[in-house]
Amino acid sequence: MRKLTVVFVAALAASVLSCNRAAPETTDKPKVALVLKTLNHPFFVDMRRGAQEAADRLGVQLEVQAAEREIDVEKQMQIVENMIQTGIKALVITPSGSREIVSALVKARDANVPIIIVDTRVDEKAAAEAGVHTETFVGSDNYEGGKLAGAHVVNVTGGKARVGILEGIPGHETGDSRLRGFRDAVKDAPGITVVASQPANWERDQGFNVFQNMLQAHPDIDTVFAASDLMALGAIEAIAAAGKTGRIKVVGFDALDDAKKAIAAGTMDASVAQFPSEMGKAAIESVVKAIRGEKLPASIMVKLEMVTKESLVRR
Amino acid sequence: MTRSSRLTHARQFGTVLGLVVLSSVLWALTPHFFTVPNLLNVAQQTSINAIVAVGMTFVIISGGIDLSVGSIVALSGVALGAALQGGQALPVALAIALGIGVICGLVNGAIISWGGLPPFIVTLGMMSIVRGAALVFTEGRPVSGFDPLFRSLAAGHLGGVPAPVIATMAVYLVAHVVLTRTTFGRYVYAIGGNEEATRLAGVSVRFHKTMIYAVSGLVSAMAAVILTARLNSAQPIAGTMYELDAIAATVIGGTSLMGGQGSLAGTLVGALIMGVLRNGLNLLGVSSFLQQIVIGAVIIGAVLIDTVLKRHRN
Repeated sequence: MRKLTVVFVAALAASVLSCNRAAPETTDKPKVALVLKTLNHPFFVDMRRGAQEAADRLGVQLEVQAAEREIDVEKQMQIVENMIQTGIKALVITPSGSREIVSALVKARDANVPIIIVDTRVDEKAAAEAGVHTETFVGSDNYEGGKLAGAHVVNVTGGKARVGILEGIPGHETGDSRLRGFRDAVKDAPGITVVASQPANWERDQGFNVFQNMLQAHPDIDTVFAASDLMALGAIEAIAAAGKTGRIKVVGFDALDDAKKAIAAGTMDASVAQFPSEMGKAAIESVVKAIRGEKLPASIMVKLEMVTKESLVRR
Repeated sequence: MTRSSRLTHARQFGTVLGLVVLSSVLWALTPHFFTVPNLLNVAQQTSINAIVAVGMTFVIISGGIDLSVGSIVALSGVALGAALQGGQALPVALAIALGIGVICGLVNGAIISWGGLPPFIVTLGMMSIVRGAALVFTEGRPVSGFDPLFRSLAAGHLGGVPAPVIATMAVYLVAHVVLTRTTFGRYVYAIGGNEEATRLAGVSVRFHKTMIYAVSGLVSAMAAVILTARLNSAQPIAGTMYELDAIAATVIGGTSLMGGQGSLAGTLVGALIMGVLRNGLNLLGVSSFLQQIVIGAVIIGAVLIDTVLKRHRN
């Protein structure tokens, strides 16, 4: 039995060793942690690519980690604690919870690790109370993006629509800002009514289920705004299943490749494009400046763009 | 020493050896592992899973399973958060949180015992009901921002040891005594070993089974207190999949899913193996996808050892 345990652990050790070979520990390059919400979402995969390219160019050793599940802020906190132990020179993070992450940032502050926030803002009040200072925020203005989507809906429907909204996980700053922007943009169009608004937790399958139910309750919905493309893509499947393809306009957010395909095919109307790889790039460039001791602006905004069939053709 | 207790001891030795070898390997691989701050981090990061796994160990030794623990963590947490924000004193808020955990456990146990339903079904249903209740209660939003006294339950230290680690040690000590030195503890093993024989011996199996699930609910609520203090926030989506981590820690620790066998010492080591693994893989910069593969392999490997060991002895 003992022999078996030893063999088993040795095998484990060997596998860990072989994983480790990819990331040598001895290097003069400053080590920087990039802690993402998840790595199984195209948005964060793109962000990682942009960050990695910038890191290679600028001579930064980048360690990328993410929790197994996007909602698991406690795991994200563990990752931050563990990365601090490895002597990182800076922490770049996309918080899984705007308030919850502050407890982890306190630990970074105590270790004198400069913090750069990407994509999702940290709750300002909670950060101020905890005495956490962040170097800068890199992201797109989700509120402006929501407004862009709202204005687009007003524009293409001629100001008359019955809208169903698919929300992200409640309490996420990203989704809340997008929704606020959208609502503010359609507020002044009297012909536009939001008939239903429910969370589908950023997920494609939930987008399908929630919208299917929404359509059941409100068969007169003619426009969908989803706070992310994955949920929008789920809604498109639900629309197809109901045999209503082409009769309901779908507007999403993120301009994922799948969404662009759907827009080109005409099953989706538009999506707000963010540029996650640009965010990753800007974050690493900021890191290098922060390590050099340069002062950074309070926020660095990455552009937003409305992707429609026309804009795809233009390209 | 009876044969089964010798088995348990040998099995525990294997688990401890596994932990030692794993730690030594990490020590050799990275200079960041074997440092006091890092080891304290590991202990702290393990505490929540370790505490939930105490209840899971009671339940699994009795031949059951409790899938609702993660949801109980969420509901107790948001109740605690709401009570604190509602201006309740800390002891009152804690009592509410622990009370909710116990009630959830009692409901589980009562339906299993008097309804005669399989624990898997009942706790699966409760997992959904309790999670839903947490979401309804909070309208899906986290409850956050508590006073420093409450937060010291996670952030505080006593002689350099973080408060959650002290809490974990206390829970294990008490639970170990209950499991090994009391009549109730003996009944937990007896019910798992042979429920019918236990009943025929005049033991109220229904009552004791209900209490076992109440223990599971209670420790889940304790974990909720630490989690809420740690994040300074109570999330209705907290604790998702905690049941699987707790089952994994219990099983790695040598408790048999067939019931009747197991120990809390084993479970603690099992939880530590998982914590050390996650920490070490982070330190080494191993991707989160690979981490899942490694942890899965450890679970299967541990049970494989268990099975081979039994075959050898018989």
